[in-house]
Amino acid sequence: MNHPSVLVVDDDSSIRRIVAEILLMEEYEVVTAPNGAEALLAVEHERPALVLLDMRMPVLDGWGFVQGLKERHIEVPILVMTAAQDTARWAAEVGAAGHLAKPFDMSELLSAVERLCRAG
Amino acid sequence: MSAYQLLQLASQLLFVFVAVAVTLQMIHRPLKASLDTALLFAVVAFLVAIGWLHEINGVKAGRWENAVTGSLLMAIPYMLVRLVDDFTTTRRAILGAAAVGLAASIVSLFVFPPPYPGAVVLVLVAYFMGFTTYVAVAFVKASRGASGVTRRRMNAVAAGSLFLGVAILLAGISAATPGAAKVESIIISLFTLLSGIFFFLGFAPPVWLRRAWQEPEVRGFLARAASLPRMPDLGEIMQELERGTASSLGAANAAIGLWDAEAGLLRYNASHFLRESGADQMIGGRAFISQKPVFSDNTERDDPAHADLYRQSGARAVMAAPITSDGKRLGILAVYAAHAPVFADDDLLLLSLLANQAAVILESRILIDEAARVKAMEETTRLKDDFLSAAAHDLKTPLTTIVAQAQLLERRARRNPEEPANLDGIESLVSESQRLKRLVLELLDVARVEQGRLVNYRENLDLIELAREVCERHSTDLHRTVLDAPGRLVGSYDGARIVQLIDNLLENAAKYSPAGGEIRVRIRQDGASARLTVTDAGIGIPAADLTHLFDRFHRGSNVDDRRFSGMGLGLFICRGIVEQHGGSIWATSAGVGQGSAFHVVLPAAELISLVVEQAG
Repeated sequence: MNHPSVLVVDDDSSIRRIVAEILLMEEYEVVTAPNGAEALLAVEHERPALVLLDMRMPVLDGWGFVQGLKERHIEVPILVMTAAQDTARWAAEVGAAGHLAKPFDMSELLSAVERLCRAG
Repeated sequence: MSAYQLLQLASQLLFVFVAVAVTLQMIHRPLKASLDTALLFAVVAFLVAIGWLHEINGVKAGRWENAVTGSLLMAIPYMLVRLVDDFTTTRRAILGAAAVGLAASIVSLFVFPPPYPGAVVLVLVAYFMGFTTYVAVAFVKASRGASGVTRRRMNAVAAGSLFLGVAILLAGISAATPGAAKVESIIISLFTLLSGIFFFLGFAPPVWLRRAWQEPEVRGFLARAASLPRMPDLGEIMQELERGTASSLGAANAAIGLWDAEAGLLRYNASHFLRESGADQMIGGRAFISQKPVFSDNTERDDPAHADLYRQSGARAVMAAPITSDGKRLGILAVYAAHAPVFADDDLLLLSLLANQAAVILESRILIDEAARVKAMEETTRLKDDFLSAAAHDLKTPLTTIVAQAQLLERRARRNPEEPANLDGIESLVSESQRLKRLVLELLDVARVEQGRLVNYRENLDLIELAREVCERHSTDLHRTVLDAPGRLVGSYDGARIVQLIDNLLENAAKYSPAGGEIRVRIRQDGASARLTVTDAGIGIPAADLTHLFDRFHRGSNVDDRRFSGMGLGLFICRGIVEQHGGSIWATSAGVGQGSAFHVVLPAAELISLVVEQAG
């Protein structure tokens, strides 16, 4: 099977790095972006199977990113991943496939990603 | 009956009528002023009555009778001087001189048979004229110092004195020049009539005239009343109410005592002669307890316990009314006068109306304050909520990496124990732990700021050296940090905290500046102070935020919290560090997008001691 590719969008570089490393270990293909604007470019190029999305980011936030996807008529499952208390509500707002509250365990991350990639 | 006779009769009737009116008033309220007024008009009425008697009987007055009526006439200036003393304050010497003048006049009237020698007439006219002029001037002066109805009354009395003086002067002249013209007599009668009218209006104005005289000030007060509740502070509202009340009643001063239910005290403005009094103390307290207006025309007699206080503050007469809104006792409104006749009984009604107006104004103010308090509380709650969610976010972010990284390292080590340690992963673990540590310490510092325990050990340190070290650390490719400082600047500082302060300011400057923006740190000695300024070319600070910038939880309103994470604690801690060093910190900005400057003033050792230190 082709390794599904996952786009990790987070303004915090340590989080991008560790999430990528974990996913790489499980043989996912990983692309990262520090904000919504770069994430849109990455989505157009890479067509990932899943987007792990932080919501509060500079330049273009998670809401803006989702809006950008709609404008481009791109459909991709999204896993909202934030440290805010409103993770679930924000996920519902943007019609995400799932959400993950920071800080999360490695196993939670992996099972969520696996579930959504399979579904996609 | 000729016009002249008619005029004469009218003035005579007026004097008699006024004499009766003021006598009744005196019986109703036996003040020294009422007594003096009654005596003045009684003397005139008596003279009129004697004239009538002679006319009816067709008898010419004899020498002694002339001496008696002349003496009574001469008593008028003396009595007017006494009235001056009742309404204002007159020197004892003037009162004495008037008495001596009166005595001398009486003696000469009895000693010399009529027609009186020219010299005697001259002395009599001089005494009469001198003192009526003095009275006129004294009342004009009193009117300048008074306001409202009192001013108008004093003016009327002054006019009365002038008319009387002129009438007597003319009478003296016509007596000295035999065969006086009828015109002169008419003028004399007319002036006497006018003086009678003005004295009456001034000394004992009828109720309708008092009301009319009070109206302009009352109207002015009511016109301002609607805008009072929105004045910036309660003290100003109270002062404005007091001013309006005093001028409406023509009183020298007015005071509002606000009821402090917890302390059980009436509290006054700073300008009042008393800062506070018990609910049952003073005349005002009586109005408060009884919830009825109270009038004391003699405070020393009515409240002997506070006689000294009233005397010292020149409050001889006091009127006080309760300020009560809807059964809620807010306080009292009192007016003071140094002279009892300034007030009349019916002024109590006006004072009560003004007190009711004050109640409405104060009640509105209380409601406005209440609303503002609720709003401020909501704002604090909102800031606290924002703070808690920002704090949670900021703590969770490094924690996310730490947890995931640690678990990843663990899994790898288990899967492949032989694999060499993943140094990158460990470095990340360390740096994220450091980040978390910094945040936790920052939160703990907030508690220290509030306890005043932020600054601990202080030693003599070179501020510039500390700043240089921090600047070097912060100078990155993105933001060049330039230090502009003289050689050395020593002061007594907590080194770690000063480093933290400059660190924070530089971090902020970099955080809110575009890439490539220069950050300048300027340090100068200014006497016994060190001035440190951090200037950036960043997003700037809206003017409305400048004062709140250093408050806990506060963040600039132009700070997009999705772009700039932060708990809003940095500047709060900075202020704590500076203030606990005995310094001050503030920010300036030309506006949004115009960059910001943060100014810190810290105490420094004087240049002299620096030289000594360097020499040693």
